[in-house]
Amino acid sequence: MTGFDINTIVYILEIIVGGLLVGIGVHFVPVGGAPAAMAQATGIGTGTVQLAAGSGLTGLLAAGLMMSVTDNLWLILASGAVGAGIMIGSTMLTGSWIYAYAVGAPFASAKVNYDPITGFSQPPYVAQGTVGQGIPTICFVSGLIGGMMGGLGGAMIYYPLFLINGNAALSAMFAIGIFLVNAVLASWNIQGTIEGFHDPKFKKWPFAFRACAVASVLLALAAVLITGGA
Amino acid sequence: MSVGGGAGGAPSALDPKKLRIYGLAGSVVGIYLGAILNSALDTTLFSFIGAVAAIFAVLMGANAVRRVCAYGIGTGVPSIGMLALGMGIVAVMFGLSIAEALGSWLLGPIIILVYAGVFGYIIGVIANKVIKFNIPVMEEGNADLSMAGALALLGWSFAISGTLGYVDIVNDVLMTGYIAIIFIAGGLAILHPFNANLGPDEKQDRTLVNAVMVSGLAMVATGIAAILTQGLAAGLLQLVIGFAIWFYFFKRYYQLVKRDAAAVVGTGLLPPTVQ
Repeated sequence: MTGFDINTIVYILEIIVGGLLVGIGVHFVPVGGAPAAMAQATGIGTGTVQLAAGSGLTGLLAAGLMMSVTDNLWLILASGAVGAGIMIGSTMLTGSWIYAYAVGAPFASAKVNYDPITGFSQPPYVAQGTVGQGIPTICFVSGLIGGMMGGLGGAMIYYPLFLINGNAALSAMFAIGIFLVNAVLASWNIQGTIEGFHDPKFKKWPFAFRACAVASVLLALAAVLITGGA
Repeated sequence: MSVGGGAGGAPSALDPKKLRIYGLAGSVVGIYLGAILNSALDTTLFSFIGAVAAIFAVLMGANAVRRVCAYGIGTGVPSIGMLALGMGIVAVMFGLSIAEALGSWLLGPIIILVYAGVFGYIIGVIANKVIKFNIPVMEEGNADLSMAGALALLGWSFAISGTLGYVDIVNDVLMTGYIAIIFIAGGLAILHPFNANLGPDEKQDRTLVNAVMVSGLAMVATGIAAILTQGLAAGLLQLVIGFAIWFYFFKRYYQLVKRDAAAVVGTGLLPPTVQ
């Protein structure tokens, strides 16, 4: 067990901020769930936890790789964010190809009348009985932001853990545990599907912020007490 | 719509309280029994008891998933299974590390159990009070899930490493990457049964038999890992027992499916396309 000093408090704060970034980042990702898999809702056709875990774990790997060559915090955080951003971006891009060329659905959001970024009109393209299809520009941008926040959070959890116990495998597994708890709490807050930061459901984020804060404090206190073993 | 799991009045032959006691006692006693036999007789042959003990924890977890998810959580059953394993892995690492620091590996499972129970209960309170789920069994369901996830991971980790020492588990299970296998196998064993059987005709015995079946498969996986960490004898024993459990419960599961299905018919080969 390491001694309790000012560094320990910094580590705890880093883990809490990382957990909060994960929890808020989940709200940005356009999660469509099963309806999106049938092109009857906007977003990527899978659940929140799978998307958050996918982007977060890629961020962890990217951060871990960067950490093996440098110990500059900013480079590690940037690497984590970019890694997760690339992962979620390529998922949305290839998903879009299937929606566009295989399903043949026009991309349209049912939550806004005009895409806030491109200014294109949305309602004429929303098929009857559906809540939008595909991944419109606004959702894509929102998803990129969310993925990068998740990766940043993952890297921010991994970095102090590695400094505490010096064991990469242990830190990664522990970070995955912290990541999953925060991602699931956030996805429970969303309750199903969300389009991105323009979705009315996005306004619920303060609940997830509070929930993830409490959970992250408990997880961080456990995290700073463990040692690296061997 | 009143699909209320065990608490809401849906048929359940086994009371959740009874199942919780069986689950906790079975897994804790099993893990201790395996660890003490292994260290007293200086062998690794009894590692399979850890994987058997994990089955009790999985039963408790699968029943908790069944009770909570019957209310509908809106994000799919897998999310709660991943939460259980996420809470579990943190509890296992924390408990084993603290036990090592205190100088006695015997304390490990107790610390894990206490941390997992308290943490799971708090997550349940957060889910109900902050996220406003208002599911009556959320608190105890999450405490059960957290303890089940932690004990199942501990049981399988012990089955692979053969001791409860923190350093050995870190070297044999974490550094080798087998933790990823038991993480997903554990997730499947806890979340898959209800996910596969849910619906208005969901029956407790069918769901729980499915949980034991998947645990048998997980035991085959830990057996293969144990061949590489503990040698052929201990690993093969685990693999064979795991396969036997899977085979027996697969047959029983199929019987229960036939019992509950309106009709079981063969579809035959695909018919030729009619234009």
